[in-house]
Amino acid sequence: MNETEHDRRRDDVAAYLLGALGPGEAAELERHIAACPECEEELERLRPAVQVLPETVEPVEAPAALRNRLMEQVRSEAGDSQEATATRRTPRWQLGLRPLAGLAALALVVAAIGGYAISDSGSGGAKTTTVITGHSPGVTAQMVREGETGTLRLANLHQLPAGKVLQAWVQRGKQVVSAKALFVPNSDGTATATIDGMNGVNTVMVTAEPRGGSVQPTGKPIVSVAIPN
Amino acid sequence: MKIRASKAERLADEELMPRIGEKDPDAFEVFYDRHGGVAYSLAYRIVGERGAAEDVVQEAFISIWRSGARYDRARGSVRSWMLGIVRNRAIDFLRSKAGRAPKLDFDDDAVLEHRPAEELTDAEALRRETTHELRGALGELPGEQSKVIELAYFGGFSHSEIAAMLEVPLGTVKGRMRLGLEKIRGELAGGLA
Repeated sequence: MNETEHDRRRDDVAAYLLGALGPGEAAELERHIAACPECEEELERLRPAVQVLPETVEPVEAPAALRNRLMEQVRSEAGDSQEATATRRTPRWQLGLRPLAGLAALALVVAAIGGYAISDSGSGGAKTTTVITGHSPGVTAQMVREGETGTLRLANLHQLPAGKVLQAWVQRGKQVVSAKALFVPNSDGTATATIDGMNGVNTVMVTAEPRGGSVQPTGKPIVSVAIPN
Repeated sequence: MKIRASKAERLADEELMPRIGEKDPDAFEVFYDRHGGVAYSLAYRIVGERGAAEDVVQEAFISIWRSGARYDRARGSVRSWMLGIVRNRAIDFLRSKAGRAPKLDFDDDAVLEHRPAEELTDAEALRRETTHELRGALGELPGEQSKVIELAYFGGFSHSEIAAMLEVPLGTVKGRMRLGLEKIRGELAGGLA
């Protein structure tokens, strides 16, 4: 390679680090660097200069709702992963015999837009009510209550329009308040929300709301779960 | 193995990543609390809209949650790796939205100044002080060098687009990029690194 060619490559390194090369140019440079220790050294020498650029940005406080949504989704996926693992490890015939440790009550559920069906999984006093809503395909809801905390699991959810999130609500008497749970469906249409302060709650509802949540529900519930007292 | 949040808080980023790869939400929560602020600030700096910045950060962090094991410490710090993911997602957003990135107000120094922070925590205040020093290093660059760097990194423009925009030869743009990065690198070596 002549000196001019190498100088051109050297200038390309900076553009590459800044993401300013086209895909073809970037691939060409990567091939060159793989065979050129001098350019590789140049790449590593300049890399820190690009890595500090994000740190020059004026700090802007991230919304708390963003953290809440992220953690709802992450904990939901972690729970799904653990359940899948447990299911794989436990013979099916044993599942019905597993003790529901710590569950003061396994409660369920629901009034729905399009009707509902109740099934009793039987063992250990556990009951599950599956609700079919007016959506197609129907949303399935399961509510598990443990003391003052409830875990609402939804399945068959549609993906939300851009800018929308799911928000959980609790109703005590005639008063409906936010359960402070914002979440989004997983890619497989499932979602899980944790609802604190279940005492006195007679209904748990979920609506689609603008990102960041609403003070009051702005639309019809996607699912409404009646909590037996 | 799942670890308690209090224990996760004592782990270095590089130690958190394997935990995240094992789907430990407490480890992920600590990771977000450490870096979510700068991630959101960067996304907002690039896309210029709060809602879009939230979408970018959410997508980036979920991708990290689902693929945390792909972090390679040979390529730099976890924070830099994460910010690279956020930056790429933000630039993708700009390009998908407009068919190309919007033109930056690169003649106005306020492009780095006009988004005030709100109710800074102590940690954020410290970071802001560091940010101020780093911005000083960037501000020390000749305008022609800082322009091309900002247009490329924060605007997502290619070198040829920048050359057309500034009406200068392509080689001039690449040369300014290199000179600018070398000066920043020199400042880092002089005490900011």
